[in-house]
Amino acid sequence: MKKSIFKFIIPLSLVFLTLSYSCKKFLNQPISNALSPSVLATKAGVDGLLIGAYAMLPMSGNPTTGDTWGGSVSNWHFGGIASDDANKGSNPTDQPDAAAVMNHSVDGSNDYVRTKWLSCLDGVQRANDVLRELPLVKDGSVSAEYADEVTAEAKFLRGVFNLELSKVFRNVPYVDETVTYSAGNYNVGNPGPIWDKVEADLTAAFGKLPATQPQLGRANKYAAEAFLAKALMFDHKYTDALAALTDIMTNGVTDQGVHFALNANFNNNFDAAMKNGPEAVFAVQMAVHDGSSGANGNPGDVLNFPAAGPTGCCGFYQPSFTLVNAFRVTAGGLPFINADGTLPLNDYNGAAIVAAVNGADPGNNSTLKSDQGVDATDNKYMPDVTTPVDPRLDWTAGRRGIPFLDYGIMPGASWARAQGDAGPYINMKNVYRQSEAATQSESYGGWAPGQASAMNYNMIRYSDILLMAAECQVEGGNQAAAEALVNQVRSRMVDHPENWVKGRLTGYTGGDPTKPIVDNTQNAANYVIARYTGQIAGGTKEFARQAVFYERRLELAMEGQRFFDLQRWDGIFGGPEPTGYMATVLNKAIATNVSYPPAYFGDAVMKNSTFTAGRNEIYPIPTAQINNEHGALKQNPNYP
Amino acid sequence: MFKSLLLKGRTMCILILCLLSSLVVTAQTKISGKVIGSDDKQPIIGATVKIKGTNVGVVTDVNGNFTLSGKTGYVLIISYIGYQAKTITVASSDLGTITLDVTNSTLNEVVVTGYQSQRKKDITSAIAVVDVTDAKRVPTGGATDNILQGQAAGVTVVTQGQPGGGASVYIRGINNLGDTQPLFVIDGVQGGSMSNLNPNDIESIQVLKDPGSYAIYGVAGGNGVVVITTKKGKAGASTISYDAYYGTQVPKGGNVFHILSPQGMSQLSYLAGDQSVYSKIYPGGAGTVPDYGYQGPGASGVAGGPGANPVGDLLSKYNFDASNTANDFLIQKFNQSGTDWFHALFKAAPEQYHTVTASGANDKNNYYMSLGYLDQQGTEVYTYYKRYEARINTNFNIAKNLRVGETGYLFYGLSPFGQGGISNQNEGDAISNTYRIMPQIPVYDISGTHFGGTYDGPGGEPLGNGANPVAQAYQYQNAYSKNWNIQGNVFAELDFLKHFTAHISMGGNMNNYYYAQFHTPAYMDYESHGGSNGSNEGAGYNSNYNWTNTVKYSQIFGKHNVTVLAGFEQKYYNGRQINASGDDLFSVDPAYVNLNNVTANKQVTSQINQPVGTQSFFGSLDYTYNDKYILRATVRRDGSSVFYPGHQWGTFPSLSAAWRISQEDFMKSISWINDMKIRASWGEAGFAGNTPGTNPYSLYGGSPGNGYYPIAGAGVTQQGFYLSNLGNTHTTWENDKGLDIGLDASLFNHFELTVDWYRKTIGGLLFRASVPGTLGGATPPVINLGNVSNNGVDVAIDYRNNIGNDIKYHVGVNVTAYKNKILTMPNNYQDDAGNRVNAIVRHQVGHSIGEFFGYQTTGFYPASDFTKVGNSYVPNAGVVAYAGAQPGSFMYADVNGDKQITDADRTFIGNPNPDFTYGINLGASYKAFDFSAIFYGSYGNQDYNYTLYWTDFYGSFNGAKSVDALTKSFGAPGVTNPLLPIQSDLNTMGTTQTSSFYVSNASFLKIRNVQLGYTFDPKIIKTIGMSKLRIYLQATNPVTITKYKGLDPELPPGTAGAQSFGIDEGNYPSNQRQWIVGLNLTF
Repeated sequence: MKKSIFKFIIPLSLVFLTLSYSCKKFLNQPISNALSPSVLATKAGVDGLLIGAYAMLPMSGNPTTGDTWGGSVSNWHFGGIASDDANKGSNPTDQPDAAAVMNHSVDGSNDYVRTKWLSCLDGVQRANDVLRELPLVKDGSVSAEYADEVTAEAKFLRGVFNLELSKVFRNVPYVDETVTYSAGNYNVGNPGPIWDKVEADLTAAFGKLPATQPQLGRANKYAAEAFLAKALMFDHKYTDALAALTDIMTNGVTDQGVHFALNANFNNNFDAAMKNGPEAVFAVQMAVHDGSSGANGNPGDVLNFPAAGPTGCCGFYQPSFTLVNAFRVTAGGLPFINADGTLPLNDYNGAAIVAAVNGADPGNNSTLKSDQGVDATDNKYMPDVTTPVDPRLDWTAGRRGIPFLDYGIMPGASWARAQGDAGPYINMKNVYRQSEAATQSESYGGWAPGQASAMNYNMIRYSDILLMAAECQVEGGNQAAAEALVNQVRSRMVDHPENWVKGRLTGYTGGDPTKPIVDNTQNAANYVIARYTGQIAGGTKEFARQAVFYERRLELAMEGQRFFDLQRWDGIFGGPEPTGYMATVLNKAIATNVSYPPAYFGDAVMKNSTFTAGRNEIYPIPTAQINNEHGALKQNPNYP
Repeated sequence: MFKSLLLKGRTMCILILCLLSSLVVTAQTKISGKVIGSDDKQPIIGATVKIKGTNVGVVTDVNGNFTLSGKTGYVLIISYIGYQAKTITVASSDLGTITLDVTNSTLNEVVVTGYQSQRKKDITSAIAVVDVTDAKRVPTGGATDNILQGQAAGVTVVTQGQPGGGASVYIRGINNLGDTQPLFVIDGVQGGSMSNLNPNDIESIQVLKDPGSYAIYGVAGGNGVVVITTKKGKAGASTISYDAYYGTQVPKGGNVFHILSPQGMSQLSYLAGDQSVYSKIYPGGAGTVPDYGYQGPGASGVAGGPGANPVGDLLSKYNFDASNTANDFLIQKFNQSGTDWFHALFKAAPEQYHTVTASGANDKNNYYMSLGYLDQQGTEVYTYYKRYEARINTNFNIAKNLRVGETGYLFYGLSPFGQGGISNQNEGDAISNTYRIMPQIPVYDISGTHFGGTYDGPGGEPLGNGANPVAQAYQYQNAYSKNWNIQGNVFAELDFLKHFTAHISMGGNMNNYYYAQFHTPAYMDYESHGGSNGSNEGAGYNSNYNWTNTVKYSQIFGKHNVTVLAGFEQKYYNGRQINASGDDLFSVDPAYVNLNNVTANKQVTSQINQPVGTQSFFGSLDYTYNDKYILRATVRRDGSSVFYPGHQWGTFPSLSAAWRISQEDFMKSISWINDMKIRASWGEAGFAGNTPGTNPYSLYGGSPGNGYYPIAGAGVTQQGFYLSNLGNTHTTWENDKGLDIGLDASLFNHFELTVDWYRKTIGGLLFRASVPGTLGGATPPVINLGNVSNNGVDVAIDYRNNIGNDIKYHVGVNVTAYKNKILTMPNNYQDDAGNRVNAIVRHQVGHSIGEFFGYQTTGFYPASDFTKVGNSYVPNAGVVAYAGAQPGSFMYADVNGDKQITDADRTFIGNPNPDFTYGINLGASYKAFDFSAIFYGSYGNQDYNYTLYWTDFYGSFNGAKSVDALTKSFGAPGVTNPLLPIQSDLNTMGTTQTSSFYVSNASFLKIRNVQLGYTFDPKIIKTIGMSKLRIYLQATNPVTITKYKGLDPELPPGTAGAQSFGIDEGNYPSNQRQWIVGLNLTF
């Protein structure tokens, strides 16, 4: 019996000994593979959070989680295909959410809208994390100067993300560093625009940021001032905007202290090897071969490569007929703008394009000839080399028979994924050179060969500054100054014909369409460009306005700006043009597309679509977000 | 019959009492004896001993002993429920031990019910005992969970067809969004998987269905518990046995997805007016298909046949350049008779399973050993699952009161796919591509060795964007995933102080795996043609242990039988994984492929699973009075590291009681009631599934793809961090409360019936919080929100009888019916299972988990509803339409009556939850022949056939289309009563939206198994050294009766998770026929 008691005591006491020893520790397992706020409470930790906030600038997630392109900072969707810049591309049914953005049937369930909203707010909160972490640093590693600097960078980023959010949704919540999960105050409403908050953040950033930065990706004070000016433009405060823009034009320097200037070669802005030049006021930095499987290489634009040629996929974001034809110029090298500011060039239409097919000249010179409907194996197709066009055209849109960067002559239909549905033109500004493919591109997430690229996306480049200033000058009544600014932009091309696209197609060796004969001493097409000579200075105000608008359209085409420019100009939100201006412009572009017979341009997605004034100027708030906020968040006007 | 060591304590007590009582009962004029059961050799308490022809009788005591006055020559009748009555003529005053043979009743079975064993008749809650002999006949396909299908009321099992694919097991329906699997307890070790057990090793399976029974498992038990015990050596001569089968699995025949012929595809393309397609691939007009398709540098198109360019010297240009796809000039000859893609991918496949076991026991020790080899080839080419198994179970009685033992199972599994099996139920996998790729595309191009596909034809994807499924499967031919597992435990058991037994067990599961695979440059679809080759490898482990200590007190005082158990348990889980990948290998020769030889994008990542610790105290009280009134109470207190201090501990009580009404005097006169028990149980369990160990903490992280940024402007990225996890310190246990009222009856000597009604409420359901975007991108924590209720009825009926001496037969039927209802949920609903068009599933308050949500179709718009203006159709006054509607588009019900069709008109259009599921087991034997059949059925469930999105609508994507699209669509020649909308390349709201069109009745009845066996006469085989030899023939899945038109109405959950089921995206069918010959041999 005694022995049994002994045996009984041993196991039980073992049990209780273990319990008293391990209970507390056992139920508080150390956290694996993550950092707690206390670990980050050093200067290096704060800087790491700041880098993390910069890392949201591409506004795209991780390639393994999908849904990457809906938020893209390039705004190829919200700014591009939703405007008259571009068609969605690919097959009509591919990416139905993009199709809805393009044909203005977007609603609050749209995944692109959801991703954009979340990406912008994620950026805002990452910037807020920096501001929240800073006071937790108690180890003395942060100086007052560094605290100011890092606060300014965080506010800069918050301003940039909020500006982006505001452009797309206009009525948005303002989320500052006091909004946290634990505080429970996260159901932030959207009673109206937050331009004042955006301007305040950017003004604060401008005040504390240095003029130069050792790391080229960081914002300096002029980057902050440029975004401030942009916010003021959206807020229609032209006087304040002009003051900021003038300061930038006078004193603005890059991180390296180089005065802002236009690159002599327009295409350097779209060359991965030439990034962070004097024209880059603020660029989202991109990198490949950095161990991220392409996640830092324009993840939002991986679909936007031609279906053959540089990569193999995916044929999205094709320049529209409307855009390409906008590059036609008068014999004198100026855009077609009537004296009253109206645009006469609305006579290119389906009939003309059909006539232009298969080598026939449309005759009335009303539209550029294209290879729409021409098979890739056709060995007779020759591009139009007589119609005068702005030389920026062939740095903006790939056309058959014209050299495409350094890939040689663009071969036509085989590069378009579905030419019959989205037209013959290929986007170019985001495509890297063939010679740089090995160094500047990488497969994206193992899925998309060569579809990540190290080319920066310039959120603001210097010609944007000049043209915003020109707009301010027009609105301020100083049309002469506006003309000078527009001419400054045009001069780059006027003064540097050596940088126009060279290489004229003259025939095919042995009639083999894969063996073009190219004369590299000649310009690829008939490029003509000239400065304005008093037309803006002496024209009507509307003419001056349209001339500035038109210059913006050509200069910044396919850079995701067009939709937001139209939105800014529409009187609905206080712009200089009448209310409904945006609807008029875009519905006209839709009508043009619809006029093409389906045999030549059958984009089913575009047909039957209508841009509705008073609704489609801004995008709907994601429905799930409205539900999630339990009443604080309201849908934008006229969305269900 | 199984005897648990846990029972030994009770046995000891009984033996001690027996000794004591035998001292008292010694009078010479008395006749005495002891009654035991033939099954477990245990004393039978309460057996009636009557003197024949009189009313004089006694009842055996707690030791099975009886004494009565009498003399030699008396005839005694000894009877007890579940045993055959025995007649004995008294020859001496001490009759010794009298053994009663069992009848068909299973009441005396000893079942393991959670830290202890009970006789089935003492059970007070809803516990289903699976007939393992029947269950083992259900084909496993490498996933042993499958044997539970249709074998126990209240257990729903959805099987998968892929080898080793596992099964979804739900106890009493789906209770949860997320982790819905029950807890498997194998030989007392929690947290293992049943999937890889050798079915031959299984001794018994009990399913604990109600909180009254599983509350003792606390938080681990919330989804129900399956208790499995493996075999031990049995007393008697040592035996060696060999069980094996060999068979062939045959895929379903016919045109399973009803795909058009190539000529039909051509006609359809013209019917739809899709000029951009037909002008390229059917230039000769409707119904024609050209001879060749080609694509090379600067050239692509079709050649030969009507309308196409002549072939000329085209074929001489063929060039396949594996090192530079830019040089490829690929040509394929279109298959005019149509490629049967399904059968190009699915072929008849062999399977075999061999098990050798050795077992034996003496009064001190016993052993059981087995070796197994499973080779299950999949009908999908290049799929298989192989498993090599070894088990050693031993028990040793070291001293009279001390026993030690172990159970140990090792297996090595091999399959061609990475962790998680093949991609199934996914639009991009090989199975789905069998209905997506056009029929004119040949499996191989003109070279005969390289694959044909959408990339060798005209540019712009007129041949669709589907992939060649054979090419896709081929990519895995050299991939492998290897698994090494150890599971089991070591235990010691000590009897002390007469009535006490202490039990200590240390056990767990350890899983190590390694996988490697490579992809060739995707000569399989349009998009990735031209990509690079690459390789990836990875390894990892998952490990958990259970440390369990119990002390049991058990004593019988007269008619009172008391058992008290107290225990402490500690559980721990952790796991880690490393993955590496890279691209651009010089060669994809399997012998060369490894990560040393990749030249680009080399990446290594590790994945660390947050360790989770759980500590628990528990206790139970069992009290039986006079075998008539039974009471059981349990309580468990669990603490878990997945919650924040202060919210870590939860207490889970249960109380259950049973009244064996048949033991009451007033019932004893009813002769046809052999036994009847009414029981009720109530209990609370918890659940912490779906909650990661990091849940309480706000955490920061960063990775090259997320958080790193090239801030320096060029070159590499710099490390950065972001808030990755939002923590919640208030989250705590999900609380599952349940009430169960049941009846167990044994009637007419042959008939057993169990009926249960239950209600279960899951409170504080653990959900991933849904927070607004204003909080940024951090993953929100799991919080307690939402309540779900489940009501249902389980019925099990068993009938066993004989006809004469030669024919024995039995019929078992079980029925499971449940009704699931969401009571509360954040934001009232949650959408799930998003697809190309919209979410298919909406979990909404007032509805069941998993219901389908979309538009209700009401027919098609007639031409008279519209006026054509230009290219557009404008609805006439009074016509309720949506943007893009045109004649022949689907009409949708205007559910909210606002005279327009918007998102707000979506409604509930179907429910994948069945009204009930049922299993029928039939068994019969005649002399040496035995026959069995297993039926499994589901009634009232609906499936959402998403494959129709691809095949029935021309506007969805270019690709294979169905016969219906050409012959039954609006506007097709001769169609007056269309089934499908107008076929058009316009993809408007009127076509592919989530709608009731896709929903169909998916009730089914499957004959899962028919087996015919023959056992050789032992006398004959003894001469050749065998003691038992049985051979059998088996047909698996010979018949499936259903109205569902897809491959298989039984659908495992897709990519969205277990809560979204019944959605068909092209499932590896689990109802393929198998023909098997098998052998059971014992030496």
